[in-house]
Amino acid sequence: MNKVQFEQLDETLYQEKLPNGLQVYILPKKGFSKTFATFTTKYGSIDNHFVPLGEEQPIKVPDGIAHFLEHKMFEKEEGDIFQQFSKQGAAANAFTSFTRTAYLFSATGQIQENVETLLDFVQSPYFTEKTVEKEKGIIAQEITMYDDQPDWRLYFGIIENLYKNHPVKIDIAGTVESIQEITAEHLYTCYNTFYHPSNMVLFIVGAVDPDSMMEFVRQNQGQKTFDEPEEIVRIYPEEPMEAAIKQRTLEMSVQKPKVFVGIKPEKLDLSGSEMLKHELSAQLAYELLFGRTSDFYHNAYESDWIDESYSFDYSLENGFGYALIGSDTNEPETLAHEVLETVRKAKEKWPFGQDDLDRVRRKKIGFFLRALNSPEYIANQFTRYAFNDMNLFDVVPMLEEIEVADLQEAFQSVSDESQQSIFSIIPPKKESE
Amino acid sequence: MFHTRNIAKGVNVHVNETTQFKTINFSVKFKDKLTKEKASARSILANVLQHSNEVYPSHTALRMVLDDLYGTSLYIDSTKRGNEHIVSLNVETVNDQYLSEEGVLEKVMNLMYIVLFKPNLENGLFKESVFTREKNAVKQRIESIFDEKTRYAQQRMLDLALPDHPASIPANGTIEEVEKVTNQQLMDEYRAMLETNEVEIYAVGDIQSETIASFIEDYFHFKDREKAIDAPALELTKPKQPRVAEYEDMKQGKLHMTFFSPVTFKDEKFPVMQLMNGVLGGYAHSKLFVNIREKESMAYYVSSSYASQFGLLFILAGIDSKLEEKAVTLILEQVEEMKKGNITDVELDQTKALLTNQLKEALDSARGQIDIYDQYTELFDPFEPEQMINQWREVTKEQLAEVAQKLSLEMTYFLSGKEDEPNE
Repeated sequence: MNKVQFEQLDETLYQEKLPNGLQVYILPKKGFSKTFATFTTKYGSIDNHFVPLGEEQPIKVPDGIAHFLEHKMFEKEEGDIFQQFSKQGAAANAFTSFTRTAYLFSATGQIQENVETLLDFVQSPYFTEKTVEKEKGIIAQEITMYDDQPDWRLYFGIIENLYKNHPVKIDIAGTVESIQEITAEHLYTCYNTFYHPSNMVLFIVGAVDPDSMMEFVRQNQGQKTFDEPEEIVRIYPEEPMEAAIKQRTLEMSVQKPKVFVGIKPEKLDLSGSEMLKHELSAQLAYELLFGRTSDFYHNAYESDWIDESYSFDYSLENGFGYALIGSDTNEPETLAHEVLETVRKAKEKWPFGQDDLDRVRRKKIGFFLRALNSPEYIANQFTRYAFNDMNLFDVVPMLEEIEVADLQEAFQSVSDESQQSIFSIIPPKKESE
Repeated sequence: MFHTRNIAKGVNVHVNETTQFKTINFSVKFKDKLTKEKASARSILANVLQHSNEVYPSHTALRMVLDDLYGTSLYIDSTKRGNEHIVSLNVETVNDQYLSEEGVLEKVMNLMYIVLFKPNLENGLFKESVFTREKNAVKQRIESIFDEKTRYAQQRMLDLALPDHPASIPANGTIEEVEKVTNQQLMDEYRAMLETNEVEIYAVGDIQSETIASFIEDYFHFKDREKAIDAPALELTKPKQPRVAEYEDMKQGKLHMTFFSPVTFKDEKFPVMQLMNGVLGGYAHSKLFVNIREKESMAYYVSSSYASQFGLLFILAGIDSKLEEKAVTLILEQVEEMKKGNITDVELDQTKALLTNQLKEALDSARGQIDIYDQYTELFDPFEPEQMINQWREVTKEQLAEVAQKLSLEMTYFLSGKEDEPNE
């Protein structure tokens, strides 16, 4: 077991890679009574085209299958696994993102039992045609619920605008139609390909003793047999650099219009410290341009182009990413125009210097330290970073290293006009007056 | 957990000295009576104070200082509990120990003083442009509820079921009342907040209790104030219509049900009611989840929640709009099971375990400590989590059935797509 100390942060991380390939991380938290654990596979909604384990030819699977599989993991021949967690005083849950499927629990007691339940239920698939059919009604209601949420539609609307071929444009849960095609056989194929321990990370954080917990996990995994790990072949389509659709509007039941401006990054093949540096630099650049201390924000708030729903974000994964800026607004056109003007001007002449960088850097360091109070943040973010060959605890040292020129460079690669797009949601027009 | 010091009549400082967190958290809570008028005015006030003051007149100037203080978070919000309206200044800052800089804490406390006591005034009133803008911001916040159909449906049901009752008054007030607020009224509310409201000040982190208390005494100058008269019992009046259906442009059907219960927060049966709600619909092992979602595949979410301050129990489900009748029948069957006491030992034990876990977990965040302490001090003074946990431990199935039998369904509200609307 490796032990890494982060002195400035006052944290110690324990790590071990088990013989079956599973990466295990344990982070004890002083003074906490709860333990939070996530068991995550590097498999999300974008992995819909791949070579199944032990086969030669790639296959395409129905939209929404990773999420469907996540739901079905909880049902076993002997019943629902939620019941087991509840008996052990644990609140369990799971989520599927573009790139990951995570199973998790939090509890203040019976931690070993709960870790055992977590490992065992995710490692013992049980799918039948009957249970798969039964789930379709539940997921159809989940999809319908999201269909009625304008902020979710806005988010997916802009991603659909930005991406022409990449599966990030497909809704994580699929559609009511696409999930009808899913069979138990599909689920086994996906499970066998992506749930091998070598494609997974276990992260345990909280009131936990690292030595005994690591030994417990070792034993649990040692009792099970798995095939030799194989490289997973995932196929992603060619994606042009420019945005697929420049502008689109959707009518929905909202009280006032909503708009998102999206910008697609140029560099989509980064990983490790290069990715960390780029992501943080671009986030700092966008913070300076669109954060609450920016001229843009001040002007937009005073002019009533934005309200409290205003948000901006930059996020990057391998193969896709986006900068998003938007708000509920009575003037969607003006707001989108002003956002793009701000980008154009900064591209023409970079307006920020060392003092600006120092300020947003301090803000970001503070945010990070605050986030380290949250076991959920640590486990989820650490896993996301690990899947991209980054280390969450490198964030502060990397922030301290970043220079003004890095911000400028990162911004330049997420700013070109051809990479921009606008998506709006507007209230339905009155039928008759 | 917290050490309490009374610094003036009606003003308390509660400090938890702990090294559990990397940050220091403050919360200054001003408590007043909840009315539509007050909630509306005080929500504008919260925004005005948060966005502008004498030292940092623009929002940008204030945010720059906060960024410089390692992204210290500072916001003022409006919440409610029972018939109390609470304006809270919430601040979180990084403990100096993790920084290469000292003196951050002192600067942050000074900033709290400026935000509360040095408003941006013009001829004895709040600066007009700030007042107008923030009034508008609160109005837009209230309007935006419409976009979230679950929240909107819940608010519509409350408005219809219990009009003008504290249960239905939104913490941010109403659009009509926000529009009516004048700058002078806002100033009156501001004075009342500082001079007559009960004030509870919380601090959590690696700090000295004395430092905090003496800072507050030196700077905040809170004078004695009369304790607000104890809340009268909140009478629930039967809704005029037992069933209401409304229609908007949407796909899912939102089913919301209101039940009355005689058991409220201060009732000795309060812990029994919490468990009753948990077994019925609080968790993934609960009757509603197991039967409506897992067995019938009818819903993605279906749950119950207990508003203990008022003695209200809500059941919410997102369903296919054509299945309303079936869903109501199935839900009422589960309520009936509770009334009959058809509850297994496992169901009861699971619920006890999860309630206990939830309480302990909440105490693993500074904000959770403050919220729980502020709420439960009414029941136990000083509050210790074990007291609550011990009470739950002793509850029996028979007691659950007993409180379930006193539930009465008072309103069913259904919001669904316009295509479901009957043609007149």
